[in-house]
Order: sequence, then C-alpha cells, then structure tokens
Amino acid sequence: MRLRVLPKERVPDLVRALMADYRVWGPKAKGPQFAFEPLYDPAEMRLDYNISILSPKVALQPPQERVAVFHLDGGFTVEPVIEAEPTVIFGMHTCDLHALALLDKAFSADFPDAHYLERRKKTLIVSMECLQPCDEHSFCKSMGTWTADSGYDLHLIDLGDAYGVYVGTEAGEALLAKYAQARPATDADVRRLNEVMSTKWPRFPHRLNFDAAELPSLLATAYDHPIWAELGDRCLSCGSCTNVCPTCYCFNVIDSPDLSLKEAVRMRRWDSCQLDEFARVASGENFREARAARQRHRMFRKGKWLYERFGEMGCVGCGRCIRACLTHINIVDTFNAIHASQHRR
Amino acid sequence: MTDSIYAPRMARLADIRPMTELEKLFVVEFPDGSSLGHQPGQFVMLSIPGVGEAPISISSSPSRSNGHFELCVRRMGDVTGVLHRMKPGDVVGIRGPFGHGFPIEQMRGKDVLFAPGGLGLAPLRSLINQVLDERGSFGRVIILYGAKRPAELLFRDELEQWAARDDVEFHVTVDRGDETWTGNVGVITTLFPKITVDPRNTVAVTCGPPIMYRFVLMEMLGKGIPETQIYLSLERRMKCGVGKCGHCQINNLYCCKEGPVFTYAQIKNIPEAL
Amino acid sequence: MSKSPVAKPKVAFFDFASCEGCQLTVVDSLQTHLDLLDAVEIVNFREAATLDGWDFDIAFVEGSITRPKDEERLRRIREQAKVLVALGACADTGCVNALKNLQPPEEVRRYVYGEHADWYETYAARPLSAVVKVDAVVPGCPIDPDEFVEVVKALLVGKKPPIPDYPVCVECKLKGNVCIFHVGGICMGPVTRAGCGAICPTYGDGCEGCRGIIPHPNENAMEEVLDEAGLTLDDIMHYFTMFNAYREVGTGKWE
Repeated sequence: MRLRVLPKERVPDLVRALMADYRVWGPKAKGPQFAFEPLYDPAEMRLDYNISILSPKVALQPPQERVAVFHLDGGFTVEPVIEAEPTVIFGMHTCDLHALALLDKAFSADFPDAHYLERRKKTLIVSMECLQPCDEHSFCKSMGTWTADSGYDLHLIDLGDAYGVYVGTEAGEALLAKYAQARPATDADVRRLNEVMSTKWPRFPHRLNFDAAELPSLLATAYDHPIWAELGDRCLSCGSCTNVCPTCYCFNVIDSPDLSLKEAVRMRRWDSCQLDEFARVASGENFREARAARQRHRMFRKGKWLYERFGEMGCVGCGRCIRACLTHINIVDTFNAIHASQHRR
Repeated sequence: MTDSIYAPRMARLADIRPMTELEKLFVVEFPDGSSLGHQPGQFVMLSIPGVGEAPISISSSPSRSNGHFELCVRRMGDVTGVLHRMKPGDVVGIRGPFGHGFPIEQMRGKDVLFAPGGLGLAPLRSLINQVLDERGSFGRVIILYGAKRPAELLFRDELEQWAARDDVEFHVTVDRGDETWTGNVGVITTLFPKITVDPRNTVAVTCGPPIMYRFVLMEMLGKGIPETQIYLSLERRMKCGVGKCGHCQINNLYCCKEGPVFTYAQIKNIPEAL
Repeated sequence: MSKSPVAKPKVAFFDFASCEGCQLTVVDSLQTHLDLLDAVEIVNFREAATLDGWDFDIAFVEGSITRPKDEERLRRIREQAKVLVALGACADTGCVNALKNLQPPEEVRRYVYGEHADWYETYAARPLSAVVKVDAVVPGCPIDPDEFVEVVKALLVGKKPPIPDYPVCVECKLKGNVCIFHVGGICMGPVTRAGCGAICPTYGDGCEGCRGIIPHPNENAMEEVLDEAGLTLDDIMHYFTMFNAYREVGTGKWE
C-alpha cells in the first residue's frame, strides 16, 4: 500500500473542493459532544473529535427516509424513492468503518436493499486512524476495530503537521488526484508513521477479559444466565443503546396519506428491539415482552447472531451504547461477567 | 429506475366472501392475470396505501390458482380493519410471496396429519388442498381441526367436503358448543385419541394460536412422530418480509426467511419460538 | 385508497377545563395545512368560528372534567360522535389540572375561590376517559400541530392514529441530540410518550412529561436515574406528578 502525505493546512481546501461535487459529511461540535452532519463550511469540521453521538451510518441509513410514494387514482401507481447523491464521509473512525462492513452485508443479502446500496455505491469513505481511545468506554482494541486496512477509499493518519494518506481503492486514488495534491511519502514520513503507530498501541487497553473471537461460543452457553434479569430490571426500554449503535439497522415501515388522500408515502424509520412493541403482533401477543429477553436479544445479536449470519461481529467496540445508557447497562461488563461465571468453576 | 423491495404490485380484490364474524376470504388477482407463484405455507405483505402493510398467509393452494390467490384475514389491526371494509374491485398492494413454505416434495408418499387450530387453518388450507389435488401421491390424509365455537369454524363448505371424502380422515371439535352443534366438544387435543398413526411414515403439520402449540406438539410427539417430521407455521410481527427489519427474529432465525414454516427440530431449543 | 368510514367527516371542537391552547394549535395547523379544510367540514368550533352545529362525526374535546355537570355535556357529545378524540393533555391525562387532586379539597376551594367557595361546584379533575369511552387521543401540552394532522389523516382512512407507545428518548436520539442528562439536566424523556419530536430536549430543555407516561415504564429505574442526577424523593415525585398527577393518585384526596 502506497503512502502519500497531505499537509494539514490543505485539508480545508480539499473539503471545500469536495463540497462542490459531493455532499460531504464530517464530525462537527454539538454542544460538548460531536455529531456527523453535512458540512457547509470546512471550518466546521472537527477532526479532533473523539466520538459522534450517532454513528456516521446516518449518512447511509437516515433515521427516517421515504422509500416509496403511492399515487392514488382508484387504483394506484408506486414510485420507489431512491435518494442517493454523490457523498463523501470524511473523518470516519475505524470502529464505524468496521460497522459498515456489516451493514453492507445485511443490506445486500438475499433481497438487495437499493435505498441503502445505491447510496453506499455513491459514497466515498475517508477514514481516520485514532491515536488514542475516545474515553474509558472504548473497547475497540478488544473487538479488533482500533485500526483498519481496508473498507476505506482513503485513510488518514495524523503525523503531526501532515496526514499520512493510505489509498484503499481506485476511487480513492482518483479523488486524491483530482482534489488534493498529496505528495509521495519520503523515508522520513514512513519513519514518522511507524513511530506514530508504535506509540499508539499501548494507549489502547483491552477491556474484554478474553478474546472476542470466543464471544459466539461464550454466549451459546449463556442464554439462561441470571445476568439478563438484572439488566431487565435496570433497562428503561428507551432504545438509546440501539439507536446509537453503528451496526444496528432494524427499522419500522410507516405509511401515511396526504390530506387529499390522493397520495401516500411509505417511510422507514429506525426501530429498536428494546421497545416494548417491537415484537408485538396485531392480536396483542408480544413475543418478547420481558425487558430481560429484549436486552438478551440485543447482546446476542451483537456478540453472536449477526456474526453467525454475516461473518461480521455485531459489536465494534465503539462504546456508544454504554455512554448512552442512563442506567449503566454495559455490554463489556456484561460479557466479562458471563465469561467470569463460566470460568469460575 | 431502480426498484425498491418495499414497493408493492397493485392487485385487485376479485371477490370477498364473509366467513365468520371476524374473518373474510379475499380473492386477489393481478390486473395482468399473472399468478402469484407461491408455495403452500408462504405469505404475502399486503398493503393498503396510506394505511399500512401486514403479513398475511396465503390460503389457496398453487394447484387451484387460476390467476388468483386467496387470503383468509381476521379483522384485527389497522390494515385488516380497513381491508374488511373494502369492496370487490378495490385495490390493494402485494409484495411476495415470501418465506419458506411447506416442503411438499419431502411429504410425498407419506401419511399427512394436519392439526390446525382456529385461524391456523388459513395457511394450512393451502397445503391441504394441494395434497388433496395430488391425492395419489400421499398416504393417509388426516385432518384434526379445532375452533373455539361453531361460529368460528372457517371454510365450512370445504370442511363438509373433507368430511364426506372417504380418503380423508376428518375430525373437528369446538371448545364450546351451541344449540345447533352435535359434534365433538373439547380442545383440539381431545381429537388425537381418535386416530392412530404410523409415526415413521407420518408428517404432521400444525398452526394455531401460540398457546396451542405446546399441547398439540405433546400429542404429536406422544404418537412417536419424529421432531424432523413435525412442521409448524409461526406468526411474528413483520415490517419488511425480506429479512432486514428485524421484527420477526426468533433468536437467530428470521420468521420471514427461514420461516414461517419450521420443523419442530429446528425450534425446539429456542424458548422464544413457542 | 380505502373508503373512510365517513366521506367528508363533520368535525366539532369542544372544551372543558383547559387553557384552550390546544384548540389554538388546531387553528394554527389550519393555517399551515390549508387542505385540512378540504378534508373535513367543521360544524362546531366555538374558539374559532360562529358555528354551533350538533350534527358531527368526529368530536375533538379539549379539557379535563372538573365538575359533575361537565359529565352530562360530555356524555351528550359522546352519544353524538362516531369518534371521540381527547385533544391535548387535559383531556388525555388530566394534565396539570389534576395537581389539585393532591391537595385537600377544602384547601383548594378556599385558595381558588376564596370566601365564596360554596358558590362553585367542583370535584377532582379527571381525563375524559374517566367518564366516557375515548377512541383516540392527541397527547401533549399543547398538542403537536403535525401530530394533530397525522391523527386527522388516520381518521380519514379509518386507522388507529399513530400515537407512539415508545418514549421521547427515541425521537431525541433520532435527532442526534446531546442527552440532557449528559449536560447536567433533568429529563422525563425516558418514560414520557414520544410524538412531539423531542422538541424540548432539542432546544436544550429537559422533558417534563406533558405527553403522559408510556404504557409500561420502568419507574424504579427512572427513579434511580433521577436520584443519581441529584433529585430528592420529593423532587422525583414532583417530576412524576406535574403533568401526570391523575395517573399517580387518581382523584386523590377528593374522594
């Protein structure tokens, strides 16, 4: 992989140039936190962010989107709504990049979902190497997502006064050629990069007390573990853990007419398996009525089921669900507790 | 234009037949006369634009398609409530057929025991009629049907036909009778002692309200029918029908993809399934 | 499109003990959704028009019931209406009117009416559903104008109005907001019915619960959250009762 070097002072020009041809999403300050949003001014971008409230999946699977419009005239015609525009997601951290690999598979499997996939096709990813963990809740090292060697078009590594740039795809190469005059790396740049990367590793602690590869088999023996009842007692069923999760993609489909009843839209909106009504059918039967069962469902999706289905782990260690939970439900503590109890004897 | 997997095809209600206080049979056809191309046990997502969409099992057998298919629908939620107020000629949206139906190939040559409860007859009728239309390919055909009250029995004309056939062993029961009812009274499990089966050569099929499964399964297993030869059709909330939205998940099984038809062997260790 | 149960429904608005702010919001939405007036025929709307028709299909009723004689009028509305909708928190949950149920009746009467308290008839405040069957609600203090329009649309096509059973946190997260608790605030969002688009947290204020409590709240967990945020038990009770006193105590000290 060839390394290029982009002086930091050229980044605003790069982003401005991209904004002319693409919708550019980047991290912006939101109160004391950060959010991925469309950029309107390169100066808004905060590449020094730690973690965004919602993951940058918002650019690919918006919280709410129209999927079809019905024109009603006695019968009806349906017009699919595929809203995809040339997009760049700038500054994505590698945990979120790993999450995209799962979303790509989930939306491609069996019945390809054009709403996501068309947008994905038109989206270029400029990711960024994290040089320190976001905070005490990050466990990306345990999940193996603290760095990445693929999945991006371009990948930036902070070398001090410049970014080292890895090119991941031809599209990335073309983007770099057209919008940024990055120079080839010198031996000194490579030495600097190696120094940066080697000092990075020790800064990231492991938080899982075991190898994440063991998670699926660990959970296989934990379906009836007493910890689910504990989590159920604490859970508010507010859905925040799944809404902030970069690999959660469940949704509801909602139809709404206009007042003239001549047109109707079909929308999809993020949904959460933690909500009381998620598995409730029209007759009133609720197939996952207990909060404990809903938390177990989430943890099993993250640590086992999605992996078994798509070969990608459903948890990327970003820690967002931990930060978002007002009652301190902690996926790392949960997995560690299960591991401890299975290995106590 | 790129297609959306969430955009339905327009279909027309060719006929609507009242069945019970709560259920009607909707005969649906596509304007171009094309057939749905389903397997017994599959379902469609039925849309009423502006109202919503709901998963509905297909009640008619592919062997009797004639350019239309039938949906037996209970008035229950928004979509089914509005559907029940519709008239012949009105239009609905259809996506599908979806899901994994009954593996009819593996049933050929075997005895088939059907045990639907209540509205559970809706999906099973598709298979029952397919089996009856290929009667020679199957061994014994046994149908045990249970409903709460005589007034809740579905497909009454067909029940009579099944009862009248000498190549079908048909037993029906109601939980509570009324003044006109002279048949069996009791839950569906009370019908099982009336039949004997050759368990190795029998395929059992059931569908009904969640509370029913445990008891019916006990009867089937009690007769020695192997877990791999017992089929159930399960109900779940579905918003996409194509394995994405997550609502129908039963642990790691998607009811809309791996189901709605499962063998008992597939789900017996999943407490959430039944 | 399905046929509505009533072709172009006749709609009436009524009010009981309330500030009439929800009807004002309806007037507001009539200005932003001009096609509302094409979709329905308004036959009675004291606040906005000189119409007093009693031949209606849908009745939107604002306000709590606070006097025995209110019940009679409400029952008359119920008899006439094919669909009766509780408009706003007073009608839906009893809202702040029900705070008086927490106090001894004599004290409240003296405080409100002074020495002539005897002249006025009053009893514990209650939502419409304590007196008659309510078919649908538009929650909130005040109602959300967009949600009001969604309710009208749902009634036009004959479906249950899409009032969420999930909490405000869902809409707040979907908006990507900074959690109020993360900036030292207090918020009832985790147990309060969504549908408002999390408008208060979006503008930096904690939710106060005006849309009512969700169907199956985890109250113990919520109390722990508020306790951890520094509230006393009294404060916590205050947050749970400000808009939801009827839910907490019913008619309370009045009966």
